[in-house]
Amino acid sequence: MSFRRLALVIGSGSVKCAAALGLLKVLRREGITVDMVVGCSGGSLYAAMIALGGGVEEAEEKTRRLWTREITKRRNTKALFSAILPRLFGFDERFGLVDDRMVLERLRAAFGTRTFQDARIPLYLTATDFHTGEQAVFSSGSLVDAVRASIAIPYVFQPWRIGERVFVDGFLSDPMPVGVAIKEGADVIITMGFESPYQTRVSSVLRFAFQLSSITSNNLLRANFAFHNLAHHNEIIPIIPQFREPLHLFDTDKIPYVIEEGERAAEQQVPYLRKLLAASASS
Amino acid sequence: MEIEVTHREQVTIVAIVGSVDGLTAGELSQSFREQVRGGYVRIVGDWSGVEYTSSAGLRALLETVKEARQRGGDLRLAAVQPDVLRVLELAGFTGILKLFPDIEAAVGSFRS
Repeated sequence: MSFRRLALVIGSGSVKCAAALGLLKVLRREGITVDMVVGCSGGSLYAAMIALGGGVEEAEEKTRRLWTREITKRRNTKALFSAILPRLFGFDERFGLVDDRMVLERLRAAFGTRTFQDARIPLYLTATDFHTGEQAVFSSGSLVDAVRASIAIPYVFQPWRIGERVFVDGFLSDPMPVGVAIKEGADVIITMGFESPYQTRVSSVLRFAFQLSSITSNNLLRANFAFHNLAHHNEIIPIIPQFREPLHLFDTDKIPYVIEEGERAAEQQVPYLRKLLAASASS
Repeated sequence: MEIEVTHREQVTIVAIVGSVDGLTAGELSQSFREQVRGGYVRIVGDWSGVEYTSSAGLRALLETVKEARQRGGDLRLAAVQPDVLRVLELAGFTGILKLFPDIEAAVGSFRS
């Protein structure tokens, strides 16, 4: 089996996506270069950072600054009223219970005015078209816009408008967008994905909605992954870190542990990757 | 990867040791194909020694299970290890393949 183009796909998974930095550590240590990166939702942050060429420590530091509990602290009171009394307050597609100004501010601090053109390797970030449900793949334009669209968590952050279109989180169309890498000509695809956690206690409407969202997205993840495995002409290597402790949306203090688990899971695939590279070089 | 084929009752047991991936899946497919086309369509894959499977391995499994079922048989897996089970679950294979904790149970399932 030989290959020419190696892709890295990082699926949705909020703070768990930092495990991609552990994978990156292993790839760099082994001298394995990636030809394209695809990211979705939380994975879009790391896909963008990796494609821009930054180091693991820098990306870790950026995440700590960006992804903190504070970004959801300020509620969008108008949205709450509009949900309860839609006729009085007016309800529309840009519904989100959290005031998104801080997350936007943080994304601007992380990516500034950089665009996809600044990426050192081809970068693809995915979101979902709110009106058609189709997967949207960004490969040009502002990184802040693309990442913001990709992380538009339903009910939490309001969908993001770019031009005439409105986008919601990429996980709603495919939580682990391996298909993008296949379509863009990747041969070997290393993919890191995570299933959405189920609620331990359904104690609010929001938790109820999250539970339904997890059920749908986990089934979608499996269905899409099954199809991509069978449809791909070459090799898909899933790297699935196992976390011994539960991880919540903003457990940024656990990022070193998450990276460690990503590194551990990636190391298990190193012997096979080495063999693949050797087989490819000799063919 | 090592492949060992044995027969018990009217069931063929294909025991694999190693990784089922892009470098070995061809050999596995070939071995399964020989069994199925030789009329041995009731197959148990002894997966206790399989440490890893990738997309190429999954395609080899699917190819075999389809051909075995078309000929009135089946491919059933025994003793799948946790890491491999996670990949099978994620790829939806646990929804279409019958899995058993050990060889005895898998072979026995063909009696009923």
